[in-house]
Amino acid sequence: MLSANILSMKMPLSEALAVSLIGIATVIVILAVIACLIILVSKAIRAIEAKTSSEKEETPAPAPAAPMAKGTSAGQVELINTNEKEAAVIMAIVAEKTGLSLERLSFKSIKLMEDEKKGDENK
Amino acid sequence: MIKDVLMGLWEASGFAALTADGVFLWQNLVMILVSFVLLYFAIAKKCEPLLLVPIAFGILLANLPGAGLMDDPTGLMDTSNIVEGAHWYDTGVLRLIYAGVKSSIFPCLIFLGIGCMTDFGPLLSNPVSLLLGAAAQLGIYVAFVVAILLGFTPNEAASIAIIGGADGPTAIYLTGKLASHLLGPIAVAAYSYMALIPFIQPPIMKLLTTEKERKVEMKQLRKVSKTEKIVFPVVVLVICAFILPSVAPLLGMLMLGNLFKECGVVDRLSDTAQNALMNIVTILLGLTVGATTNGATFLKLETLKIVALGLMAFCFSTVGGLLLGKLLYIITGGKVNPLIGAAGVSAVPMAARVAQNEGRKYNPTNFLLMHAMGPNVAGVIGSAVAAGFLLAMFGN
Repeated sequence: MLSANILSMKMPLSEALAVSLIGIATVIVILAVIACLIILVSKAIRAIEAKTSSEKEETPAPAPAAPMAKGTSAGQVELINTNEKEAAVIMAIVAEKTGLSLERLSFKSIKLMEDEKKGDENK
Repeated sequence: MIKDVLMGLWEASGFAALTADGVFLWQNLVMILVSFVLLYFAIAKKCEPLLLVPIAFGILLANLPGAGLMDDPTGLMDTSNIVEGAHWYDTGVLRLIYAGVKSSIFPCLIFLGIGCMTDFGPLLSNPVSLLLGAAAQLGIYVAFVVAILLGFTPNEAASIAIIGGADGPTAIYLTGKLASHLLGPIAVAAYSYMALIPFIQPPIMKLLTTEKERKVEMKQLRKVSKTEKIVFPVVVLVICAFILPSVAPLLGMLMLGNLFKECGVVDRLSDTAQNALMNIVTILLGLTVGATTNGATFLKLETLKIVALGLMAFCFSTVGGLLLGKLLYIITGGKVNPLIGAAGVSAVPMAARVAQNEGRKYNPTNFLLMHAMGPNVAGVIGSAVAAGFLLAMFGN
């Protein structure tokens, strides 16, 4: 910190230039340090996560699921008057809106509501 | 009797106050007209309306003759007009609210909200962006030297220079600490230039980059894990605050807000900080910052100098980011589009949008927005660090 006398007076150009150079250098150094830390921390986190996921993969796989009933898609979702493409879009929208990943969501069934659809169109 | 009542009514009116003590307060009328112009831009042209409407209305309120909304008879913040026997509750209502600016509460709360709304993902997936955010603070230091040359004191020069950081709350925070008498012109200049970024930056971008550079398509950013996003605010705060403790209030609130957003266990707090709280503080901050522009103190040659220096700071900050962008373009063998360097000024997300729009003008298939968001959010950290440095140098 500079003394109070200097702060109330006009600053010589040489001093102003020095403050400016040190200032921009400080900003660059601090942000460069943060950048290096981000790289290191990211690598460490990704390594830990990779290790954890590989350990999970090594655990014995669960018994195969029972064969799917007709009209049931992968992930045990019952599709009624809906094709898989539409169902995938709906599930993606729900995941996006709720902020939850698809692995954490459980869909029981997706059904096209014909009557309500017609009702909406009449509104 | 009726004559006395009418005379009393006239003497209490703003028309009489306009010519009080035989002095015609023409400056107040000019400022009222300025507020009308700003309201027009905010409402009709939609220029930063969330900020400009309260600021313009604050200007209007503070310049209404005789209304006394910014009166300070007990000298709470301004000792020039102390009235004998006045109490704190005689203070003008906007002056009382202004305590939130003077004490830095409002800028810090705004940073909390910004933290909740900011996604540091693009920055984490490309940490080199931080260097672009640092280079785009160049204007602050160029403006500081020029302000000193123009005869401003170091405290005033530092406050004016921070306009180049393109960050309203940071400018208000630093000016409130170093040169609060300049708060009105500095805040108005900072927010005006932030609104004018789409007009200020493109000519500089065109001037400093070639068509080939502007057409560069950058490769897709990697996906950042949730853990990285949670660790980031804590690490950044600890590092910055240990190196430069004066940066802690601003950066601390920014990173707290970001932790609210990323940790996923305090959704209610995050929601409040980025919506209700942010809106309340924006109203109070805008209104009281506008109210600091009293005609008698605002309409001076000094204000014009500040406005000019602010524009210069903005331009040089853009130049700094672009030049480092060009350097990265050369070093990486053409993998970095230099336009994203201009987004290093911290006006989020406006500067990133400008980079995106300029890039698409020359290559319609180019999508630079996410790449530009990295330097853009790095600019927020960079300007906070720059303010911390200036505060460490010139703060009491």
